Amino acid sequence: MSAEVLVIGGGPAGASAALHLARAGLHVTLCEQGPRLGGALHRQPDDPAQRIRVPRAQSQRWRALSTALEASSVQILCRHMFAGIEGGGTVLLEDRASGRLVTRRPAALVLALGAVERVTPLPGWQLPGVTTVGGLQVMMKSTGQAPDGDVLVAGSGPLLLALAAQMAALGKAPVAVLERSPKLVSPSVIASLITAPAYLREASHYLLALARAGALPQHGTWVRAISPRDGRLAVTIVDRHGRDRELVVDRVALHDGLLPNQNGTAAPSNGPFVVRAGDCREVLGGVAAMADGRHAAKAVLAHLGRSTEAEPSATRVLSRERRAQAAINALYDYSGADPAWLPDETVICRCEGRTLGQLRDLLASSDPVSAREIKLNGRFGMGACQGRFCAEWVAAFIAAQRDGEPPAVSEIIGSRWPVKPVPISAFVTLPPSRPSE
Amino acid sequence: MPHPASSPPQSPRSVAIVGAGIVGMSAAHFLSRAGWQVTVYDAGAPASGATGSADGAVSIASKKPGPLMTLAVAAVRFYEHLTETGILGDEYLPRSTFVVASDQEELGVLERHASHLEASGVSIRLLKGAALTGAIGAAAPSAIAAVEVQGEGHAVGYRVVERLRRLGGFPIRRNCRVSGFNFSKGRIVGVVTEDGVEPTDAVLLATGLGSASFLSGLGPIRPRKGQLIVTDRAGADAPSFPGPLMSCRYLVSKGSQAAPGVTESRSLGLVIDPLRTGQFLIGGSREDRDDRETTDADVVATLLRDAVELAPSLAQLRVIRVFAGLRAATSDGLPIVGRVGGAENLWIATGFEGDGICLGPLMGRLCQQMICGEPVAHDISSLDAARFGLSLATAA
Ligand SMILES: Cc1cc2nc3c(=O)[nH]c(=O)nc-3n(C[C@H](O)[C@H](O)[C@H](O)COP(=O)(O)OP(=O)(O)OC[C@H]3O[C@@H](n4cnc5c(N)ncnc54)[C@H](O)[C@@H]3O)c2cc1C
Ligand SMILES: Cc1cc2nc3c(=O)[nH]c(=O)nc-3n(C[C@H](O)[C@H](O)[C@H](O)COP(=O)(O)OP(=O)(O)OC[C@H]3O[C@@H](n4cnc5c(N)ncnc54)[C@H](O)[C@@H]3O)c2cc1C
Repeated sequence: MSAEVLVIGGGPAGASAALHLARAGLHVTLCEQGPRLGGALHRQPDDPAQRIRVPRAQSQRWRALSTALEASSVQILCRHMFAGIEGGGTVLLEDRASGRLVTRRPAALVLALGAVERVTPLPGWQLPGVTTVGGLQVMMKSTGQAPDGDVLVAGSGPLLLALAAQMAALGKAPVAVLERSPKLVSPSVIASLITAPAYLREASHYLLALARAGALPQHGTWVRAISPRDGRLAVTIVDRHGRDRELVVDRVALHDGLLPNQNGTAAPSNGPFVVRAGDCREVLGGVAAMADGRHAAKAVLAHLGRSTEAEPSATRVLSRERRAQAAINALYDYSGADPAWLPDETVICRCEGRTLGQLRDLLASSDPVSAREIKLNGRFGMGACQGRFCAEWVAAFIAAQRDGEPPAVSEIIGSRWPVKPVPISAFVTLPPSRPSE
Repeated sequence: MPHPASSPPQSPRSVAIVGAGIVGMSAAHFLSRAGWQVTVYDAGAPASGATGSADGAVSIASKKPGPLMTLAVAAVRFYEHLTETGILGDEYLPRSTFVVASDQEELGVLERHASHLEASGVSIRLLKGAALTGAIGAAAPSAIAAVEVQGEGHAVGYRVVERLRRLGGFPIRRNCRVSGFNFSKGRIVGVVTEDGVEPTDAVLLATGLGSASFLSGLGPIRPRKGQLIVTDRAGADAPSFPGPLMSCRYLVSKGSQAAPGVTESRSLGLVIDPLRTGQFLIGGSREDRDDRETTDADVVATLLRDAVELAPSLAQLRVIRVFAGLRAATSDGLPIVGRVGGAENLWIATGFEGDGICLGPLMGRLCQQMICGEPVAHDISSLDAARFGLSLATAA
């Protein structure tokens, strides 16, 4: 019997890693927490008839990969959430269909968990009706419907454009798209994207759709604050001349870039061999994720002593995509609102409702309080998300207050399992490993 | 057994406190108030040892009958005193603890323990029938009896430390491990760290598990790991918990009451602690291991199975975090507080195992009294380091 390899994440990186490992003759299980494979980019709709339009090359790539996967020996477990690697080196999976916790001891583990969406704090971002751009996109991809009411899209990054265009295609363009970065696509960026023309094509489609709907991004514009008003949201917007204006909407979708998802995935030394693939290793997009899955498969095979062939094409794809992402990212400004401008009441940790004032207070003394003390006493990173959404910002804030002494994000973000909250009712289904006293 | 500091040097006298856990920080507070020039050294940061990875039972309910139970009674009073005088702000939350029996065997243990508590002057209520149902019936429907231990409470160790830090009066040297001392004529005159040697008139070792490296001979201090589970918040419709529920088996696991056949190197004793935040802390294990980075699904699942058996409504909650801490345990289960052979001006306070949050502030106060040469308010002769023949390691 061949060794088992567990692949976590049913996006392009995980699917590609699983396929290549199975083709090499390994016994592979692919776990996805959601109801279907696809990941963030190729998310499949709840109802196949209600599907939003995506670029044709993109859907073809996924169709080819998922068809090959179906024909392969890979065992696919949807609604299975990877909960972490516990102290004994055992991998924990929450079977969300049956509500049980199951354990595995694979020889190798490929983590292809994707990216997490960054949103930087601003007053009112914790209000109901404020979501992330990615969150809204997931909703649209699953239901095939755009949200009701007036939607404002704000922050920075190509995802703003993608979401807004997808909404426009469904006949419900956002009331405005606010892009913090003042930069527009320049000839030099176009030049660096020549080797990855798909991005240019995609961007021009989106811009065209938005121009038709009269919702082209307003550059150099950002949200100062959001407050509730008569069941809607009053948004203070700063335009590119620094002037404030107000817009009343039903929903606000925010986004400030993507980061690799690394929460809670520390691997103990007695656990399986662990490789990361795709956006959870380096955020390089969907095409790179497929190539990176091949790389991860190769690393696992090498670890298991299987002979492997070099993957020159995967390496080529990765470096091309890295260059393209660098060029794209140069156009955006992910810094968010300048913390110096944020009032003390601004919520930083939305899980625990902790504010910037409380963080400032902890840093006020001349005592060089450590990141761990800030975590414990400020409760930043102590809530249900374990710092997934605030640790990086809090660490950067501390660093900025103390010139040149940045604390490790790992001191705030949890490196422990469970990766995400796990129901107690699932834990109690684990069979006792020994007779109880 | 007070030991006056011999020939007090010119004031202000300086004292080096090694360890910024709850014990060291409490001693620092009281010594600073007593006019000493205090410096606290910690190899990491305040509360980076056991104090930062503990539950916060300021409790008599689980104490072993004898000196520990007597001192715990005084320690709880001291928390009340520190609250009345404003020193602790609202960090101390008074509440009862409920020790619960689920079967006849546990009932025997419960009744025995209840009589010991009463003998120590602790106010308790034995709950059965309607009184039991009224108090904890909603939370623990299958309990057959419980003892409500009144007049105790809860405090979060790292928050007490933070409170004392903010009251201030002394510097804290973070990331500053003390590697040894300089001596002159039988006294310590300098504290040795990576940053050099700093002069001092007295030293208190409040180094928890780190104490072993300062002491000669086979250390009587052993790590005893504990794993704890944190849940998310209970919904508004969840049954209310009037205080922590402690299974009788916990007493056995802690060694506070004997039971036949419990000799293994790992034992689990269930405490379900409703926190002020609406979350629960569920613990804990006692394992003769020293790895604080790892937590095991087996331990967690076993604790949770016991927890749900006692309090079925917990099944609706989710585990958001699991963490481990290392207690500093001694071979006789009592802390070590007093002088250490090898230098006239050296004191130690360590070995608090699972009781240091409760005892810490009081022990800090008693250390201050010893170091100042004042009468010590409570009899701590049974905690004296002499019982292990401890002295300072010469190589330090
Ligand atoms: C919200 C969002 C929206 C995006 N929108 C676009 C877009 O419109 N256009 C574009 O070009 N790129 C977009 N991207 C980027 C693009 O999706 C990624 O570059 C690409 O999908 C990366 O593939 P991946 O396989 O690494 O990760 P993903 O495609 O994100 O796949 C990761 C998979 O892992 C699963 N997973 C995560 N944690 C666990 C766990 N603990 N247990 C089990 N399964 C788990 C997730 O459910 C997901 O299916 C988006 C990214 C995000 C995060
Ligand atoms: C899981 C768990 C649950 C617990 N629950 C409770 C409870 O409910 N109630 C209760 O009363 N108690 C409880 N305890 C026990 C309590 O946490 C400890 O007894 C108490 O924190 C001990 O405090 P301390 O100051 O002696 O030691 P510590 O908090 O360990 O502090 C010692 C400090 O010394 C520092 N140090 C060590 N060596 C050196 C050196 N050479 N130089 C400089 N610094 C050094 C360390 O960095 C550390 O910060 C629990 C403990 C655990 C692990």
